[in-house]
Amino acid sequence: MALLDVQGLTKCFGGLKAVSDLSFQVNEGEILGLIGPNGAGKTTVFSLITGFIPANQGKILLEGKDIAGLKPYSIAHKGMARTFQIVKPFRKLTVLENVSLAAFLRHSARKDAEAQARRVLERVELIDKAEAYASDLTLSEQKRLEIARALATNPKVLLLDEPMGGLNPTEVDHASILVRDICKSGVTIVWVEHVLKAIMNSCHRVIVIHHGEKIADMPPEEVVTNPVVIEAYLGKKANSYKKGEPIC
Amino acid sequence: MKKTLLIIIGLIVLGIAPIVIRSPFFVHLMIMVLMWTVLGASWNILGGYAGQVSFGHATFLGAGAYTTMILYLKCGVDPWYGIFLGGLVAMVISLPIGFICFRLRGPYFSLSTLAVAEIVRLVALNWESLTAGPVGLLITTLPGVSFLGQPINWESKVPFYYIIAIITLIALIMTYIVSRTRVGAYLLALREDIDSAESIGINTVKARVVALALSAFLAGIAGGFYAMYLRYVDPDAVFSIGLSVEMLFIAIVGGLATVGGPLIGAIVLVTLGESFREHFLSGHLIFYGFFMMVAIRYMPDGVWGRLNVLFKKLRLKKDVNHGTA
Ligand SMILES: Nc1ncnc2c1ncn2[C@@H]1O[C@H](COP(=O)(O)OP(=O)(O)O)[C@@H](O)[C@H]1O
Ligand SMILES: [Mg+2]
Repeated sequence: MALLDVQGLTKCFGGLKAVSDLSFQVNEGEILGLIGPNGAGKTTVFSLITGFIPANQGKILLEGKDIAGLKPYSIAHKGMARTFQIVKPFRKLTVLENVSLAAFLRHSARKDAEAQARRVLERVELIDKAEAYASDLTLSEQKRLEIARALATNPKVLLLDEPMGGLNPTEVDHASILVRDICKSGVTIVWVEHVLKAIMNSCHRVIVIHHGEKIADMPPEEVVTNPVVIEAYLGKKANSYKKGEPIC
Repeated sequence: MKKTLLIIIGLIVLGIAPIVIRSPFFVHLMIMVLMWTVLGASWNILGGYAGQVSFGHATFLGAGAYTTMILYLKCGVDPWYGIFLGGLVAMVISLPIGFICFRLRGPYFSLSTLAVAEIVRLVALNWESLTAGPVGLLITTLPGVSFLGQPINWESKVPFYYIIAIITLIALIMTYIVSRTRVGAYLLALREDIDSAESIGINTVKARVVALALSAFLAGIAGGFYAMYLRYVDPDAVFSIGLSVEMLFIAIVGGLATVGGPLIGAIVLVTLGESFREHFLSGHLIFYGFFMMVAIRYMPDGVWGRLNVLFKKLRLKKDVNHGTA
């Protein structure tokens, strides 16, 4: 049985079908990449499966139980955590307070929550900034803070929404190592990224969506040479593309 | 260590103040300061910690005041239970209000609390069989109570002083507990970002309702005391927008989301209000408003916040001096 099983998920914003009859499964222990051009519906998928916006149709099974219709906080309790593409730290609180708040989900005493938060901050290498205010961090640090906060809720499934967006190449490499490390520690990951290159070496499997529909579900090496995917990313320019050459 | 010492000194001062300074005006002033501390603390829990700015907190003050008054006059319930029940009734009333207003966020929430407060005031004005409408309710005698074998003299203000002093301590201790526990942390998360709060497992609707209920409880108790102390309530005296705004001012001037802030805010604003009233008669509100503008412009973190920053600077300086010596 898949850890997360999404069936026939559909969401319309007015006349626009942002997500259309989307089905996919996430297996325990894997890193699943979810890619697609801007506006493909990736963030919407995350918002749907974490309960932030209601779906028009579809089932979302977490460990076999349907969680569609639940509120975000109770989905967090069930073991699914997300990060936000546009980071939403608790700006006027310190880094440690930010992460402790998330750790309170599994620990009722402040002391225990803080200890858990410190462990997570060590892992994402933000421990030196524990006392800094979240608003004073660089973008790269704020992205790591997003991950730390989600991680502190002790999730089974972690949904990362463009954790590499806006980072420079060194920071990207750094973050890739972090994500693989989190996966090794037993957390299943769904990783949304706009650029395939960033997640090429880390994902076990990649799903490509375009206009809210799934157009590919295959290992990353195959995705980069798949004509349908290339067409989706490059549009008409696909004609001028030389066969066998990776798209990014 | 220093903190414990400060608290002990504060408690002693609180305990002996009316014995040392016997002027009835001064005792009255201190009673007002303490009552407004409780009201500021009430507003601070919802507005300061949870970041939900209410313009309608007089609703809960009024609910407490009327509950205590009506229970005493119509059912003969001792006001000292009545004050507590006033807090509970205010808390119960806050639940449907939260249900209505918390569907809205930010400024829309604030405006809805204002609207609800006006509705409640109009209901109190027109439900004459319960509230006697604009005529108001009046107590002529308070029940005979004796303390340590002595009958309490209600004509003196001193017994009222000790009652409100105890209520103030309850309010400050409650704020302290909230600020130190998971509940308080959740309220701060609400203030900062509701989506992020939900994403880490906080039931933001429940957290807001809890903040409002605690807040309403404190305002209701203060309201019950207010009714007993002044021995008179009418809708304009306890449900007016002016009272709601005053609570907000005290919490902001004192320092939002701090335990001691409302006390400082009440000391500053109540004494300032009284002396402006004395010196400028009709124009006092202009000066009061002007002071508020200056305070908010130059001390956005409130007096308490400002003092904290100063203390920190002083301590740093001391450390540096030690370092070079
Ligand atoms: N709350 C919303 N209301 C209306 N349209 C939306 C909303 N959120 C997203 N959309 C639209 O849905 C489509 C998918 O958006 P999104 O999921 O953010 O894409 P991605 O994350 O893949 O870039 C876009 O066309 C976007 O404009
Ligand atoms: Mg997106």
